[in-house]
Amino acid sequence: MTFLFATLFYISLGVLIVGVALKIRQYWKTPAPLKIPTMPAPTTQAGVVFRMAREVILFESLFRSTKWTWMFGWMFHFGLLLAFVRHLRYVMSPDFILWPLINNWLVQFAGQYASLMILFGLLGLLARRIFVDRVRYISAPSDYLMLILLLVITVSGIMMSFVTPIDIVSLKAFMMDLITLDSGHELPVSVPLVIHLGLVALLALIFPFSKLLHAPGLFFSPSRNQVDNPRERRHISDWAKKLES
Amino acid sequence: MKTFLTHLLIAGLLLTGGAAIATDVADISLLKYPEPAGEKCVEPAEKMRREHMDLIQHQRDETMHNGVRGITAKHSLKGCIDCHVGYDDQDKAVSINAEGQFCQSCHNYAAVSIDCFSCHRTTPDGENPMRKSAMTNPHQ
Repeated sequence: MTFLFATLFYISLGVLIVGVALKIRQYWKTPAPLKIPTMPAPTTQAGVVFRMAREVILFESLFRSTKWTWMFGWMFHFGLLLAFVRHLRYVMSPDFILWPLINNWLVQFAGQYASLMILFGLLGLLARRIFVDRVRYISAPSDYLMLILLLVITVSGIMMSFVTPIDIVSLKAFMMDLITLDSGHELPVSVPLVIHLGLVALLALIFPFSKLLHAPGLFFSPSRNQVDNPRERRHISDWAKKLES
Repeated sequence: MKTFLTHLLIAGLLLTGGAAIATDVADISLLKYPEPAGEKCVEPAEKMRREHMDLIQHQRDETMHNGVRGITAKHSLKGCIDCHVGYDDQDKAVSINAEGQFCQSCHNYAAVSIDCFSCHRTTPDGENPMRKSAMTNPHQ
C-alpha cells in the first residue's frame, strides 16, 4: 500500500505540474485581438492588478451576478484555502523557517473547522445544480461528478479529523519520505485515509483536463486583465502587426 | 533525466506550497524523547497514537463531571506523565511538554497544540512511584 501510494503520488503530481504548465502555456499564447475589458475598468496596470486581486480574493463579478452562487462558492474556496494551510503541516519540516506559522493553534483550528465551510459550500453548489432549472439544464455529468469527488474527499477528511483519528505522525513520516525521496516509513492505512489520498491523487490527475482549470484560467480573462486605455495605446496583437507592414 | 525529474518534482512541491526544506528533524526516526519508565502502556501503542486525546478527555469527563475517581482511572493524564516524564542531570523531572520531551516531540512534529498543561502540571507530583531510580535505595 505504501509503495502503491508513493507511486500514485509521484505520477499524479507529475501530471498535475506538467499538465497545468502546458495549459498555462496554451493560455499564454492564445491571442487576445480585441480590447474588451468589462467596464468600468481600471485605466492603469496597477488598477488591473487590484481588480484581479478583488476577483481572486472576493469573487467580485460572481458576487455581482448571483448572490447564492457567490455565497456557496466563496465559502467553499475560502474553506479550501484554510484547510490547505492546515495540510501544510504534513509536508513541512519542523525546522523550516515558515514552520511557526503552520504550527500555530489558530491556523490549525481554523483549518480543521474550515472543513465544515467546504462541506456546506459544496452541498450548496450541488443543490444549485439540482434545484435551479436553468443551471440543471446546462449541467453535464462532469459537473456533478466533480462536486461529488470533492464532497467525498471532504467527508473522508472530516471523518479523520473528527471521528476516526489516524496516526498523523506516521502519515507525516510517509509524506516526508516522498519529499526527500527516501523510504522506510509505512503509510498508516485506514479506510478514510485511503479514500482521501486516493481521490486527491485522482483529482490531481484530472485537474489539467477539467473545469478546475478556471484557477489559472481566471488570470487570462481578457475582459478582466486588460487596461482601459485604447485611446492612449493602440491594442494590436502580434499577428496583426505582421499584416500591417 | 533523473535529476531533471527530481528538480521538476521539487519545483512542483515548492509551487504547490509544500515549501518543505527537509533536514534531519523531518525524519521521524530521529525524533528523540525519554524512554518510558513502565513495562507497557495502558493501551496498545497503535491505539494510543490515534486515540490518546479522546481517552484522556473521556477520563477527564468521568473524573470531573461524574466524580468517578481512583483505581478505575486507567487513562489519567497523571499516569501518562508519571511513566513518560524525563529527568535532567540533576535528577529533576523535566516538563513533559518541554522541547525533546515525550509530548512535545510528536506534537511539534505534527503541529498539534496541547492545552492540557494550561491547567495540569507537567511533572509528577512529589515522589514518582513509576521512577525506577526512585525505587532503589540511594545509599547502595
